[in-house]
Order: sequence, then structure tokens, then C-alpha cells
Amino acid sequence: MKSRKALLFWCSLLGLIVFLTVFSNMLAPFSPNEMNMDDVYSAPSSDHWLGTDHLGRDVLSRLLEGGKVTLAVASGSVILSLIIGIVYGGISGYFGGLTDTVMMRLLEALITIPALIIILSFQAIIQGGMWGMTLLIGLTGWLVTARIVRSEFIRLKEEEFVKMANMFGTPVWKILWGHLLQNSIPAIFVVTLFNFAGAIFMEVSLSFLGIGIPPAIPSWGNMLYYAQNDILIGAWWIALFPGIMIFLTILSINFIGEAWKNPKRRRVND
Amino acid sequence: MISKWVGKRMVMGIVVLFIVSFLSFFIMQAAPGDPAAAFYGGNAQTLTAAEKERITRAYALDRPVAQQYIAWLGETVKGNLGTSSKEGRPVSEIIMERLPNTLLLFSVTMFFIIIGSIWLGTVAGMREGSIWDKGLSTFSIATSSIPAFWLGILFIYFFAVSLGILPSSGSGDVEGNGGVIDKISHLIMPASVLIVTHVGIYARFLQESIKIENSQYYVKVARANGVTESSIRKGVVRNASIPYLNYIAMTIPSFFGGSIIVESLFAWSGIGQLTVKAVTTKDFPLLMGSIMVTGILVVITLFIVDLIMYAMDPKMRKGGAR
Amino acid sequence: MIEVRDLTINIEGKHITQHVDFTIPRGRITSLIGESGSGKSMTVSALLGMLPVDAKVSGYVMYEGRNVLDASDQEMESVRKQDVFTIFQDASNSFNPSVKMGRQLYAFSGERVGDTIDVFNEKMKLILDQLGLAWDVVEQYPFQLSGGMLQRCMIACAFYVEPALLIADEPTSALDMVLQKEFIQLLIRLNEERNTTILLITHDLDIVAEAAHEMAVMQQGTIVETGTVETVFSNPHHAYTKRLLESRF
Ligand SMILES: Nc1ncnc2c1ncn2[C@@H]1O[C@H](COP(=O)(O)OP(=O)(O)OP(=O)(O)O)[C@@H](O)[C@H]1O
Ligand SMILES: [Mg+2]
Repeated sequence: MKSRKALLFWCSLLGLIVFLTVFSNMLAPFSPNEMNMDDVYSAPSSDHWLGTDHLGRDVLSRLLEGGKVTLAVASGSVILSLIIGIVYGGISGYFGGLTDTVMMRLLEALITIPALIIILSFQAIIQGGMWGMTLLIGLTGWLVTARIVRSEFIRLKEEEFVKMANMFGTPVWKILWGHLLQNSIPAIFVVTLFNFAGAIFMEVSLSFLGIGIPPAIPSWGNMLYYAQNDILIGAWWIALFPGIMIFLTILSINFIGEAWKNPKRRRVND
Repeated sequence: MISKWVGKRMVMGIVVLFIVSFLSFFIMQAAPGDPAAAFYGGNAQTLTAAEKERITRAYALDRPVAQQYIAWLGETVKGNLGTSSKEGRPVSEIIMERLPNTLLLFSVTMFFIIIGSIWLGTVAGMREGSIWDKGLSTFSIATSSIPAFWLGILFIYFFAVSLGILPSSGSGDVEGNGGVIDKISHLIMPASVLIVTHVGIYARFLQESIKIENSQYYVKVARANGVTESSIRKGVVRNASIPYLNYIAMTIPSFFGGSIIVESLFAWSGIGQLTVKAVTTKDFPLLMGSIMVTGILVVITLFIVDLIMYAMDPKMRKGGAR
Repeated sequence: MIEVRDLTINIEGKHITQHVDFTIPRGRITSLIGESGSGKSMTVSALLGMLPVDAKVSGYVMYEGRNVLDASDQEMESVRKQDVFTIFQDASNSFNPSVKMGRQLYAFSGERVGDTIDVFNEKMKLILDQLGLAWDVVEQYPFQLSGGMLQRCMIACAFYVEPALLIADEPTSALDMVLQKEFIQLLIRLNEERNTTILLITHDLDIVAEAAHEMAVMQQGTIVETGTVETVFSNPHHAYTKRLLESRF
């Protein structure tokens, strides 16, 4: 009962954050890129609830707009890694044998290379925009999904009803789609949720390093990129609020994911 | 038995390094401009024709891509990582200067994370249902949701800007005026940021493993028959630490990723900061070199963790499965 | 020595045992017999104060004038350590898989009674020898031994400790006929020479006939018959007991 209430709380919080960012155009008190050189680095006040930055832009407005960008990049990349993960893990798990062995060895090798390193190197060459980033995060974030899908498929393949369907000559795609994939949804959902948190982390990290989303577009990571200098002159509000938003978003995702996890399947990573 | 096992791990490590080397080589190929320029460095004009000729031959730059890759790989294995296009110095030299700092930061943080998580995880796992047990779960979710670099920014604000007791950036110099103290004062913030954001999840994983191990039949038998609590505990923690070590191995790559960002924030002059610098200044030879070195570091670390696991698990050693 | 009165165990709304009554008299061998899943092992857990945390339990288990079910964890711990040794049913999972047998045998026996390693080595060697085990087993890990060997290791510890009360939950299930016979002889000797009280849980009526003085028959979580072995064998009341005895011949 108690955990149910907690789940509701974290879902509402996440819903609120998504709502605020999606409707940032209407909710933001200022235009996120509107500069005011007479009003730089002003601390939170009744005019600017969360203060202004080094160009006199309203932090609250940028926070809402930036959330939209961060969450959009994360969502896009998670969908991409979901598709790749399902296809890769599905093929590996369904066909088994040598295919499976080779694919899993490759996956094990890929998983040991820090994703950040791969993205950094590609960013160096293509220096992509927002969608380039989405693509890169998506292309590096599917490994765990693939592993989960594979183990689910292997488990389900042995179940009675799938064997029956095979015996009755149900077409392969129907078995894959109707039996294997649909029954893997709970597990896939949990790993995707954690993936989403990971994608947010990745976006903010890269933008924070100044090699993610182009600096002209506000995002939570970009705001923190400038904040590392602003903090040295004492403008704490520029750093504090985007971080709190990131923290709360990831915190609610993690708590929702925990609540959803089947206690018997606790070690998702195995 | 051991030699076979080590051999298998080595092959895996080499495969990883091959993939990393493909990635590195691909960067050079895809980099804007003449890939050959990467090897001449920023001072290409000053090279004599003979030197250019030598480099071209060494890297097979006038041959097909596959041969170039092999030539490049050969040079890399020999320790020749090319010349930085911005600094004009050999990449291997720059990396060697940076390596000790990265190793220092990594070993200090890992040491405290492992000690801290074993302590927290054991206390919480052994007292099922206690405040420790429930508290650790929440603590670990909360701390692992904090972006490490953001915590770093807050630390800089408090300890460097407001209180002025710690330096906000740099990596200190043992040979300088401050000596070891200076080094430590620079290390405190980056290390503690990484420790705070990671100790919780590792502790929690150990806690869960201990709880699972604690419900094993043999534990019940031992408790029923008056085996001392301390030796039961020793056995349980030992067995639980095998999945725990496996978890550490699995998260090492992302841990390295996280430390790249923290190094950059605190201008800690290690490999991570170097990588980011190479990206922003488009110093491709330097980037390739630091990627290779990071790959090697990860592979070596994983190998060490695997060895410890191997030593701790007699079932693995004896190859015995019932 | 132990009196079980009206013992009812309930896990997640399911009755495991109901109103169980029987006595384990001091110095005697009492046998608990019953079909698989009838709640024998669960009853043993209750005697030891080691029921699963989600178990709801009512009734009494009187041990030396105290109700075990109300005793604190520490009290039970010291009782288990001083007076009782239990051979559990699943011998192959009774040892920590990553610790050598020698250390575990010592922890179960020598260390418990306060013997030094040297004393232990000498004494244990003799016992293992009697049970047909070579001394080499101490250098091995549990997964390198067979189920029957592990069962004998546990039995060896029980003989080493010579507890006031020995509980043996199907101790011979993995042993061949010859070893089984020898074990029973050792058990009888322990009872006669050291006056050890024994609770012997088994499926095997031959063992009951050979070793036990008293017996209790369990079916679906209830005790359906108790008495001395002679009376029950010659004059069974309950239909289940009759069936059991018939199937023996
Ligand atoms: N941990 C547990 N949680 C819930 N129910 C359990 C648990 N352990 C055993 N049971 C149930 O308790 C009942 C009695 O089990 P018990 O192990 O005592 O049987 P038994 O008489 O020892 O059988 P056997 O001769 O096969 O060993 C069974 O129905 C079993 O399903
Ligand atoms: Mg049983």
C-alpha cells in the first residue's frame, strides 16, 4: 500500500516535469533567448524567480525550454536504442546457436567500451546538432536492452505455449511478435525506463563538456556548461536549478523503475 | 585450468582493443582534411622531404586503407601514437605525463568506493528489515541520481568559492611548493564527488547479494548447529562478493565515462580531461591516442577484477559444476 | 525432553501443520514418520526456533520447562549451540560451496565444543574412518563430493559433538543399504553409551523397527498416531498407519 502511494508520487512528479517542459512556450515568463545586458547575473527576485544568467536571460524560462530539449533528445535516443536492442537481442535469442554466441561475444566486447568515449569521438568529427546527438546516444545505448530481450526470448522460447505454437506451424513472425515480444514487454519496459535515465545523463554530460548540443540551444546540460564559470563569481542559481531538475527527473525515473521491477527479477544485470 | 581461463580472457580483451583500434583509425580516416596530416603534426611545413617520406612509408599512407590500418596498428603496438597536431609533441609523451594523475584518481576513488560499499552493504545486508537495510536502498537510489559533475559544481561553490578551503581546479604538483599536501587538496573534491555518487549503488548491490546468500540452505544449517556468527558472516560475504565483483566489472566502463567529466570539471590533468581537450581542439592524433589508452586501461582493470573473482570462486577454479 | 503441544504453523494462509502433539522422551529414540510434504521438516524448524519469518505459529514446544516458541533469538542460539545437533535433510546443500570441507567440519564440531585443531584432526579421522570416508575429504570442496559423502560428513559431526539431543531429518536418504545399516548401529550405540536423545525422521519403516523406541505418524500436517514402536506396529489405529504397515511387507 505504502509503495503504491510512493509510486503514484514519483509518477506525478515526473508527469509534472514533463508537463512543465512540454508547455514551456506558454508557461515561461520570458523568451528563453531574450537577452538583457542591463540585468546580467541578477539573483532570484520577484521579476526573475530563478535569476538571470551572464547574458541577462531568464533562468526559469531557459530551464523550462532546456528541459524540453533534454527530454526530447533522451526520448528520441531511447526509442532508437529500443528498436536496435529488440532486433539485435531478438535475433540472438530466437536463433540461438552459433549466431547467438557470436552476437553475444560482440556485445560483451562493445559493452566494455565506455559509451562516452565513442560518442566523444564521433562528436569530434561530425559535430552534429541536436538530432545528431540523439542519433549517437541511441546508437550507443541499446546494449543492455539487447541483453534483456535475448534472455527473455530464450526463457519464453522454452515455454509450453510457444512450443505448441511452433508445432501447429504458426508463422515465425507471429510467434516473434505475438508470443515472444508481447510477453517480454514488462522486462523491456523496466530496462527502457533505466535507459531513459541513462540517456538524460549522457545528454547533460556531453553538453556540459561543451561538445553536445550546440550552445545556442538551451538544454539542462548547456546551462550547466556556463554555470561552471558563473559559480566562480558566486552566481549559484545558474548551477543549482538545472541540476535540481536533472536530479528530480532521474530520481523519479529510478524510483518508478524500482517499484516496477519484479522482486524476483531484481538483478536485471545478470 | 588457469592458463586456459586466462587465455580466454586475453582473447576477449584483445577483441575489445581491436574494436577500439577500429574506432580510433576510423576517426583518423573520417577527420576533415588529409589523414596524413595527422601524423605530420601542426608543424608539417617545417618537415624536410626526407622526413615526410619516412612517415609516409611508416604508415603506408600511399597504400589502400586496409594496409594503412595494419601499418598504423603496427606503429601503435610499438608505442608510437603519432604527433599531437596542436602541441607538436609525441602523443605518447603527452599521455605518459597524464597517466599518473588518472591512475591516482581512479585508484583512490575505487579504493574508497569498495571499502565504503563493502562496509555499508554488509551492515545493511546482514540486518534484514533494519533501518540500515531500508535506508541504504533509498540512499543508493538518491545518490546515484545526482549527476557527479553537478555535485562537483556545488562543491566548488561551497569549498572553493564560499569557504575558500580547497582549490577549485588543477591537479597539484608534488614537486611544487605545496608538496604532497597540495596534491591531496586538489584530489579531495574530484575524488569525493565520484565516491559520493557511486558508493551507494555498489553497496546496494552487495546488500542484495548478501540477502540472497543469507537465505541459502547452508546458512540455516550452520546457524542451527552453533557455527559462530563471525564465521557464518565471513562465508556469506565471501560468496556474495562474487556477483558484487562481477557488477563492478560491468560498471567499470561507465565509471570511466563519469570520471572523464569530473576530470574536465576540476581541470584534473588526466587522460579524461585530455580526451575532452582533444575533441574540442580537434587534435585527432591526440584523440586517437587517448581513446586507445582508455581502452587499454578498461581492459586491464577488467582483467584484474576477473582474476580476483577467479581466485575467490573455487567452483570456477576447479571447473566443477554438479 | 521435548513436548510439542497443539503446534499449528501457518504460512501465507496455508496450514503447514495443525494441532501437532507429540513427545520426545529423554534418552530414547523417537521416530517421526510420514508422507512427503506432511510437514516433518517444518516441525523440526519449529523445534529449533528457525521457522521462516513469514510463518505464523501457535501452540507450545516445551524444552526444559521453557516454551521455545517464545524464546528470544539469543536464548535459542545458545540452546542450539549447547544441546542440539541437527542433520538436515538436504545434505548436498548443507555446506558452503566455496569453503574447504576441513574448515567446515571443524566449525560444525571441534570449534563448537572448544577443541583445538589437533584434537579435532585426530578425533575426526577416526569417525570418518568408521563411516567409510577417507581423510582426503577435508581438502576438498563440497561440490567435489557426492551427496552420500556429504551426508556422512554431517553425520560425522553429529557423532563428534555427542549432543544431548540429536535431530536427524532423513539422514540416510543418500546412503546405500550397507552404510545405512552401519549408521543405524552407530546411532543405537550413541543412544546407549551416551544416553543421547534422538529424533529420527524417516520414510523407512525398517529403520523405525530397528532403531526407534517411540514413534509418531504424521499425515497432511497432523499427527495421526503416537506410541511405542511395538504397540503401533502390533496394533495400529489410524487407516494411514495401517496402510503404511501393510505396504511394508
Ligand atoms: N519456506 C516455505 N514456505 C512456504 N511453504 C513451505 C516452505 N517450506 C515448505 N513448505 C510447505 O510446507 C509443507 C510441509 O513441508 P515439509 O518440508 O515440512 O515436508 P516434509 O514432511 O519434510 O516432506 P519430505 O518428506 O518430502 O521432506 C509442504 O506443503 C511445503 O510445500
Ligand atoms: Mg522434509
